[in-house]
Amino acid sequence: MSRLSLDFQRHRLDNGLKVVLAPDRTVPVVATNLWYGVGSRNEPAGRTGFAHLFEHMMFQGSAHVPKNRHFELIERVGGTLNATTWFDRTNYFETVPSHELELTLWLESDRMGWMLPAMDQAKLDNQRDVVKNEKLQRYDNQPYGDWSERLQRLVYPEDHPYHHTVIGSMADIDAATLDDVASFFRTFYRPNNAVLTIAGDVDPVAALEQVKRYFGDIEPGAPIPPVPGNPELPPLIGETRRDHVVSDVPLPRVIMGFRTPSYASDEFAVAEVARSLLGMGRASRLYRRLVRERRVAKSVVTYVYPLLSGAGLFLVWGTGYPGSDPAVLEEAISEELAALGRAEQHEIDRAIALIETDLVRSLERVAERADLLSMFDLYFDDPGRLNHEVDRLRSVALDRVRSFATDRLGEDNRAVVIYQPEKDR
Amino acid sequence: MSGVDRGAVPSSGTLRSFDFPTVERRKLPSGLDLRVALMNRLPMVSLNLFMRGGEAALGEHRAGLAVLTADALEGGTGKRSGSELAEELERIGARVSADGGWEGTSVALSCLADRLPRAMELLSEMLLEPSFPEEEVTRAREQQLASIRQRAMDPASLASDVALASYYAEGVPYGRPVDGTVVSIGEMSRASMVGYVEANYRPGEGGLVVVGDVEPAEVEQLVTSHLGRWLGAPASRVDFDVKPATRERRVRIVHRPGAVQSEIRVGHVGTARSTPDYYPLSIANMVLGGMFTSRLNLNLREENGFTYGVRSRFTFRSRPGPFQVSTAAGNEVTAPAVREIMHELVRMADEGPTGEEVAAARDYAAGVFGLQLETAGQIAARVSQLVVFGLPDDHFDRYRDAVRSVTTAEAAAAAARHIRPEEVQIVVVGDADVIGDPIRKLEMGTVEILGV
Repeated sequence: MSRLSLDFQRHRLDNGLKVVLAPDRTVPVVATNLWYGVGSRNEPAGRTGFAHLFEHMMFQGSAHVPKNRHFELIERVGGTLNATTWFDRTNYFETVPSHELELTLWLESDRMGWMLPAMDQAKLDNQRDVVKNEKLQRYDNQPYGDWSERLQRLVYPEDHPYHHTVIGSMADIDAATLDDVASFFRTFYRPNNAVLTIAGDVDPVAALEQVKRYFGDIEPGAPIPPVPGNPELPPLIGETRRDHVVSDVPLPRVIMGFRTPSYASDEFAVAEVARSLLGMGRASRLYRRLVRERRVAKSVVTYVYPLLSGAGLFLVWGTGYPGSDPAVLEEAISEELAALGRAEQHEIDRAIALIETDLVRSLERVAERADLLSMFDLYFDDPGRLNHEVDRLRSVALDRVRSFATDRLGEDNRAVVIYQPEKDR
Repeated sequence: MSGVDRGAVPSSGTLRSFDFPTVERRKLPSGLDLRVALMNRLPMVSLNLFMRGGEAALGEHRAGLAVLTADALEGGTGKRSGSELAEELERIGARVSADGGWEGTSVALSCLADRLPRAMELLSEMLLEPSFPEEEVTRAREQQLASIRQRAMDPASLASDVALASYYAEGVPYGRPVDGTVVSIGEMSRASMVGYVEANYRPGEGGLVVVGDVEPAEVEQLVTSHLGRWLGAPASRVDFDVKPATRERRVRIVHRPGAVQSEIRVGHVGTARSTPDYYPLSIANMVLGGMFTSRLNLNLREENGFTYGVRSRFTFRSRPGPFQVSTAAGNEVTAPAVREIMHELVRMADEGPTGEEVAAARDYAAGVFGLQLETAGQIAARVSQLVVFGLPDDHFDRYRDAVRSVTTAEAAAAAARHIRPEEVQIVVVGDADVIGDPIRKLEMGTVEILGV
């Protein structure tokens, strides 16, 4: 049934590093991609935002690579690079012309094995300033910029690892020390807590040899400590929790969050289908009803966070028109969520057709392929899941989507953050 | 384990050259310029239709009409409502978008290759028989008005809009926001949109690009059967002179009381896509602020920690688009950030880049080009650039050689000609009570404080 049959092979080095090789020699481009099993959920109390700050420090050089050299070398060969930090993981990636693969292996292995000798206070202070400016630019100086912080506080209990945001707090970022950098590195940045994927124009035999040469002598670390706090939580929030914000925003906005089964659960597929059916594309229920027919929303967004610890997060948000009442918008969204209980099979088919096109389109890029293979290997020990993604969603039965509305999207499992413009008050 | 020498940068392997895909070009009897390229890594196809005209050809009272019309195009056809059209497209997984811009209107489609015939049928229905129902006209207009309000309260968008208005003389289209104003949009009706389509959605100027797992002959047959009856050339002409608002350096602070950070824009009127300096200027700009290891980013971010990131850019259009440095910096470092931006502009204009910097930028530009030939969408977007700017068919075949042949002297001369620190307009959106005095002390020119 599946249109996807992406070729790949798996290996594991003696130090525990997982390796996925996915050759496709049609274009002379190769992607190197590393996922480390550490994210904001692993941050100890008083160090929110540290996993992300640490990600910045990974670009400040290593024993054999001076500051800025990593960027210079990759850009010099016409490559691109970046890294991102999220709740459950941190990823690092380069895409380069394929004859420069070895350069990426050298750079990634040097910081995996020998980052600490290059660390100093000046670099930490500099990147602390950069990260604080990032927080200002992306959150604090933005209309609605604190929405995720507010929503997570309502959806997850205080002792839960998803209670705080990935960017963290200014005070915690200020408190970070070089000792924190060292201990975080030794605890989490170990080969036995990582997946290395190489996708694209690569000879698997030669590449595996190179991987062994560069990464093979990096010492493994102790087993990864359990996630701090209490990841276990009731499946439902138990009530409707609210946060009504009157602030300097241009338009009213209603943001709803719901606990969902974790990404590791079979039921997550139901949430993915429901999310697409509700808000993906212009024939989706929310767009059709709220944006096009009733015009109570200027735009709608739905998303489901693929999270591993205890519960994922199902997100619905609608932005209203100038002067409109957010309570009316909230009521309209609630009606459509309840109406999901009367969904039809053709709506599932439409949603899956869109997901399939988007997936195939994303796989045109070796960087995307590598990223998905790393994720599936790190999270599920199964990179081959990529080839079955569409089938997994297609197997979701209509009655499960319908009951999702009552089981998960009801008033007993709801967090609502409402933004109301100061001027409309 | 291995005896690998970690102290040395690994040497490169053997370069595999890769050519830009072959593009088959045909002029159809209707006047449509059809370009098709085969790419069969995955069973995808991407289509881009460009129709010349656009916002630059519209007078101020009609500003935003091209954007609005494109947005309302999916509102329905003679045969079905907007929701029915969306349903038909999405059930086959097709993604369709229509965007009005400065140069014209672009309609893009992407879908699995075996679904192209059905998608083409629906796309041509949308293009040739749009019905613009009143409720859809209202929706599009209200959405655009709300977006204009959002831009005015978003510090980054506000900074860019004020900056553009500061660079261009009054009446130059590029000085206004591309999606129009509250006044111009408020006046628009169904008749304006129908009239715009009638006059401007024409095959005679522009072109259709199809890239993917398709046979050119089959594409031609599909296009002929669905768009063969579509005829004519657009009525609008781009007709304006680009003049700067002033040659005098000025500072404008848009006061946002309580802002925790400042959005900074520094720039002036740039140059057109047709400039003979295109390659050397692109290289000079990369050194200045067009890559991570640019002078601006290494200075403001990696050296001083003033910002999360900073970039400079020449926006090349048919007529001279803007040249602009953009960044955001914390309140206490806003003035130092402006000072360092000016320092780097002066240094680049006066001294140009070094030989080593030019070599690095050339290698980056030539290498990255090859990285962006992976997807049908990327190739289609590239070929569309040929259409938009009337570039020669072999432009991308020669691109890497052209980049690699830029000399240090050429890059320096281009920088000196096109980067003019004494003429820049400096726009800062932030808390004037906090950042005002430090900025005045920089003595960059008259400082004007604007309310919000």
